[in-house]
Amino acid sequence: MFGYVRPPLDLPEEERKRFGRAYCGLCHALGERYGTAARFILNYDFTFLAILLSEREEGPVHHGRCAAHPVHGRDRLESTEALALAADESVILAYWQARDGVEDHDWLHGLKYRGASAVLERAYRKAAALRPDFDEGARLQLKLLAELEREGCSSMDRAADAFAGLLQRAAQAVDEPVRRRVLEQLLYHLGRWVYLVDAADDLKKDAASGNYNPVALRYGLAEGVWTEESCRSFAATLDHSIHMMATAFELWDFGVWTPILQTTLYAGLFRVGKAVLDGTFRSRENKRETQERST
Amino acid sequence: MNDPYQVLGVPESATDEEVKRAYRELARKYHPDNYHDNPLADLAQEKMKEINAAYEEINKRRSGGGGRAGGPGSSYAGGWQQSYGSGGSSVLQQVRAAIQVGDLARAEALLNNTQDHGAEWNFLKGAVCYRRGWMDEALRYYQTACQMEPNNPEYRRALNLMQGGAAYRPGGEPFGTLCTGNPCLTLCCAYTLCNGGYCCFI
Repeated sequence: MFGYVRPPLDLPEEERKRFGRAYCGLCHALGERYGTAARFILNYDFTFLAILLSEREEGPVHHGRCAAHPVHGRDRLESTEALALAADESVILAYWQARDGVEDHDWLHGLKYRGASAVLERAYRKAAALRPDFDEGARLQLKLLAELEREGCSSMDRAADAFAGLLQRAAQAVDEPVRRRVLEQLLYHLGRWVYLVDAADDLKKDAASGNYNPVALRYGLAEGVWTEESCRSFAATLDHSIHMMATAFELWDFGVWTPILQTTLYAGLFRVGKAVLDGTFRSRENKRETQERST
Repeated sequence: MNDPYQVLGVPESATDEEVKRAYRELARKYHPDNYHDNPLADLAQEKMKEINAAYEEINKRRSGGGGRAGGPGSSYAGGWQQSYGSGGSSVLQQVRAAIQVGDLARAEALLNNTQDHGAEWNFLKGAVCYRRGWMDEALRYYQTACQMEPNNPEYRRALNLMQGGAAYRPGGEPFGTLCTGNPCLTLCCAYTLCNGGYCCFI
């Protein structure tokens, strides 16, 4: 995924540290299960997934050093079933997205995707053997998405549905029926929101390269530039997904994770969405991409 | 029944006013309008019943076991009627019945086999889309239904609720991407050193 789901910084210190422990815990789980190279797929979205799948209590914390924090080290969650599940599902998702990137680009531009999928190949095979249902689902949904993109599908709901359905499957291993229903709805709309925000973030880039962009097609945007009305309508559809996530979230007790999830859902997502619509979200990244294009 | 104070999230020592405030906040959160057409509406309805029962129980205890003291104990209980029971042609009635039991595939198949795309057809198509999570198309079908029959209260209500009439946010703050203040300064970037928080090949 893409790193859009992040909690706001105005969380209390204690909660920010808790988020950090989950982040470092997931990083460690990736390293432990798949080797150091797999750690590079870590991002905020996968941490959020790990938190959603976690038990209500936090579990034991370990203080340790790592390559990113060699001196002072960091506190991290000891590996739990939820971290293991999130790590496995992250590897599967990252692998299929990299494969997708290989297919979508010519030899030269597909290099970085080919590199990523080669690095992940062994990790992927292990993860797919551990979570065959999720792997099968991810493959199907991404294949469907690739077909829709090739057709130039102009329904952004349909395109987003393929990705949302994929993320929804991350909850299928949950046994408790109410919890599973809540997580399925939350993850579906999280997937929809991530897919649409990512498409909005790529508007200008896709307009320049001629790549498929469901948001540009839906609103008929020229050069990837918003009109005031289309921007308002798009923000409303993002809000509908956030509303569905929030209403699902309120129907299950997420224990110690409640404050992080609550502020992310009721504040963090709005802010990321606004920054993407303002064009301020990825100014750093965009600069890098522009440089790459001009060289 | 669970401890009513625990259900409302207040200590036993809370004042009547605090109990009432906690109840109102929860009632706003699980209000039927906040879960209109929501696939999880049945769970919210259960929550609402639990909250109402807890509030009535506390009021009963505080008034010495007699009648209710100081509160609209079950003022929200009646709102949970998302009936799809009325309607025109018999096929569309079958669609409503299918939506009611959550069989969206059947509802969709019936709708797709119907030639007459009138206001009710658009409304029901919107209801199916909404439950599937296809929010952009749901909104457009609801809009079409309202344009075709501007005075129909059922269609109007669905459209109004979707246009942000009732979305709950803690503390009563406005709900929406475009209602948010300056986003750049307050996003969590605290962990960007562990690999930038970005997947490097996306």
